[in-house]
Amino acid sequence: MKHAFLDEHSHLDSPIHRLDPRAKLVGFVVLIAVCVTTPPDLYAAFALYLGLEIAILVMSRLPLKHVLRRMLIVLPFILMVAIFLPFFSKGGGSYNLGPVTVSGHGLMVLWNVAIKSTISVLAVILLSSTTPFPELLRGMEKMRIPHMLTTLLSFMYRYIFVLIDEMQRMRRARDSRGWKGKWIWQAKVIGHMIASLFIRSYERGERVYAAMLARGYGGEVQTLYLHQFGVMEMGFLALMILTPLAARIII
Amino acid sequence: MHHRPAVEIKDLYYAYPDGTIALRGIDLTIEEGESVGIVGPNAAGKSTLLLHLNGILVGRGEVKIFGLPVEKKNLREIRHRVGLVFQDPDDQLFSPTVFDDVAFGPINMGLTPEEILAEVSRALEEVGLEGVEGRSAHHLSYGQKKRVSIATVLSMRPDLLVLDEPSSNLDPRTRREFSELLQGMKITKIMVTHDLPFVFENCDRVVILSQGRLVADGDAFSILSDEDLLFQHGLELPYGFYPARNERTGDLRDLYREN
Repeated sequence: MKHAFLDEHSHLDSPIHRLDPRAKLVGFVVLIAVCVTTPPDLYAAFALYLGLEIAILVMSRLPLKHVLRRMLIVLPFILMVAIFLPFFSKGGGSYNLGPVTVSGHGLMVLWNVAIKSTISVLAVILLSSTTPFPELLRGMEKMRIPHMLTTLLSFMYRYIFVLIDEMQRMRRARDSRGWKGKWIWQAKVIGHMIASLFIRSYERGERVYAAMLARGYGGEVQTLYLHQFGVMEMGFLALMILTPLAARIII
Repeated sequence: MHHRPAVEIKDLYYAYPDGTIALRGIDLTIEEGESVGIVGPNAAGKSTLLLHLNGILVGRGEVKIFGLPVEKKNLREIRHRVGLVFQDPDDQLFSPTVFDDVAFGPINMGLTPEEILAEVSRALEEVGLEGVEGRSAHHLSYGQKKRVSIATVLSMRPDLLVLDEPSSNLDPRTRREFSELLQGMKITKIMVTHDLPFVFENCDRVVILSQGRLVADGDAFSILSDEDLLFQHGLELPYGFYPARNERTGDLRDLYREN
């Protein structure tokens, strides 16, 4: 069965794609950290963060449609929560919009949530669309993030779709025999499916472990790291760290 | 030089932790260069026997690989020399990318980065799949996954290739191509399966494993043409398939008897 890539477009070629994953990871995390701690009324700072991201977007030659689509998946959830704030919040002056009143304080909170989540989500999309997930993991390993964690993530990346396929097949087998999940006592069937998925995964885990042992596994998954931290990486980091910081200090 | 068979098994017993006895006294010697099919019905102990060849399971009795007893201090070398390919490629390929999977063995062997890169591209070339290094195994076709599975052990330059159900789930063309790939590899091969035509195509020697015992051992033609023997041990030739000797080349070939 066909599934969406977690890291679609990450195999394109551009100066951003070629960067060492470590630089991108640090750069985007710093950008997000600086962004979320910026006071909401520093409009120029937000414009600068967004400008920086748009510059990277252009350099990375990612299809704009892909980026917008990804943002549409995440943003509505955040905005759903925030959209009502101006109506229920009090203080900071109020504006009359026909029958409802909108509070100035609430509007500020909405703006704060909206701009910060937009910038942060865009940063994550840029990172994941320019860096193949396995390379990101290797970068994390290289940065001394515990192997246990990166190995766990790497198995998750490898097996999540295998598990989804397995669940899909069970569901088809169930529905083919006329199951209709209408009644609460039929919840038992779902319980059995979850249990059976667990057992299958457990057994797969044992087989995978045997396959690892067969190829000389000795307790630590090692990978080959082929990226070099060079001038481009330094430049990128300087751009991603110094510009937002400077903006915070000066503005 | 002292004579050292590739595999030497003497009086091997194995019982699973739940008490199920899987192997009841196996004696088997396989010489270097042979290609041997181990056939038997489901639950005959075939896969259990395979897992003894590189010490994933250790039973009572003696197992020697190229003269080395399978015991803890030799495991490193034995696992390097025995390339074990599991039945389900989703078990064999556990890394996020094809490259990581093919490089897994060489890295564990402690090769240098240059050697690792060279081994990975050589192994992938050998199975005819250059250029898929960066892909995730999930995005390969089943036949490609099977090939990459072989590459993951070829990259370790094994002396003995051990395959568990190599032909399962392959469509006819992929199966034929996979069979040709195996025939082109000139190393000692052991495969367990109940796919008798596949064994006939790929193996010179066939042993039958039934209820944890070796019940027959001989050249592929004489075993596979003995329908009574096969039937006794839960094996049957697929409809329309009868092994025949190809007189013209003297080779054993599976020909389809007319009518």
